[in-house]
Amino acid sequence: MNCGFTEKISSLIDGELSPAEAREVERHLVMCAQCAETRADFLSLRSQIAGFEPSLTPAVQNRALAKILSMRSRERQPAAFGFAWKWTAIGFASILIVALSILLIPSKQPQQVAVNKPAPASSPTPAPTIAPSEAPRPQQPQQPRRKPLVREPKPGEQFAVNSQPQRSTEPQPVRPADAQTMTALHFEKAETLLRAFRNVRLNEPDSANEVSYERQRARQLVYQNMMLRREADANGDVQISSVLESLEPILLDIANLPDKPDDAAVRVIRERVERKNIVGLLQVNSTALARALD
Amino acid sequence: MASQDDEFTMLFQDFYPSLCRFLECLLGGRAPLAQDLAQESFLQLHRTAWGTLPPGEARFWLYRVARNMAINEFRKTHTRYRLFDRVVEAMRPAARNPEQEYETRERKELVLEMLQTLPEDQRTALLLREQEQLSYREIGQVLNISESKVKVDIFRARAALRERWSRKVKVAGASVS
Repeated sequence: MNCGFTEKISSLIDGELSPAEAREVERHLVMCAQCAETRADFLSLRSQIAGFEPSLTPAVQNRALAKILSMRSRERQPAAFGFAWKWTAIGFASILIVALSILLIPSKQPQQVAVNKPAPASSPTPAPTIAPSEAPRPQQPQQPRRKPLVREPKPGEQFAVNSQPQRSTEPQPVRPADAQTMTALHFEKAETLLRAFRNVRLNEPDSANEVSYERQRARQLVYQNMMLRREADANGDVQISSVLESLEPILLDIANLPDKPDDAAVRVIRERVERKNIVGLLQVNSTALARALD
Repeated sequence: MASQDDEFTMLFQDFYPSLCRFLECLLGGRAPLAQDLAQESFLQLHRTAWGTLPPGEARFWLYRVARNMAINEFRKTHTRYRLFDRVVEAMRPAARNPEQEYETRERKELVLEMLQTLPEDQRTALLLREQEQLSYREIGQVLNISESKVKVDIFRARAALRERWSRKVKVAGASVS
């Protein structure tokens, strides 16, 4: 453990070194038996930890899910009840306002007319003089009052109505940016994976461990790739969608490799990666996305 | 709402087993407690953050919450849970293939024993790397620490485990000979 490269070996197997650094460490590994052993040990530890099987049965898992969903639906019920109460209260309040305004309008109306009178220059006819008379009271309060009642709550109602859709639509403008961040990260990860997959030395004894690790990574990335591609399709982002689309079969191929894949199977995937120039494509697009996010 | 539940179910099916595994390793093999905490983490997600988190963030959120819960458990008295876990383990039905089960259990116990020798932060970082394949940046996000600390923690954890591992192998070799 005295070699200065030991810490870099840890980063190398995690795909966290720059290509130049990775090349340097790889070159050193060829010459230094001690470091090659360290790498093998780190990879062996990895397979021990990654191969840990949880003491979990499908029955326990299903029970846990059922419990969460049932608790959630139980919590929702009183919420819906409270929501209904809220609307009932609003209804009562608005009826109260109508009743009060009916009572108060006769004293307010002449003032409204006086204010309205000078403003509309286009209506010089003294039409409002008919209004203040007490006779049409049952007619008048209904028409103009309904107008303010329908119109006035509107701004208030719009807040109430908007406040809900706004919450639901709130994430929408945020989502594309987050999706972009996720996509940029995903591209970076896929690039690291494909580089590591390209660098697996098939003749070495650890190659099986390495391939199985890359296979696990690919399995995780496939799922994310599908999600992001769907998101890109929904947002009409054709370029990102097409990059993800060409990446997906390669990830699937790596993810579906058998436990002990033969060299030919690995080589076929590598050749496809090279032929499609996926690594370059990912690099260009992740850089472009990172720039756009800055 | 139904589609939200569907999405949640999908997320649950994808990540509940790995969250259980992460917690089980973190808690030194206390499987029932790990399953409870994983369930509690998902319940909290469903109650508070579901629908507000950006896509892909839920996973990090879950690991962050689960880890905090595990830390709280470390602070509580251990004995009560250990006893309970042992009772649950003893009540578990017998394995179908006893030999295979024995081997798996041996291997599991060895891994857990080794992991328990690490400080909690190093153990968590290493588990998130090796089992969940998170990048250093993502681990930093979950644990709220810098990438360089993640890198150092993971390296130290590996170096320590490697040393202990080789010591163990040597001791085993000596006892055989």
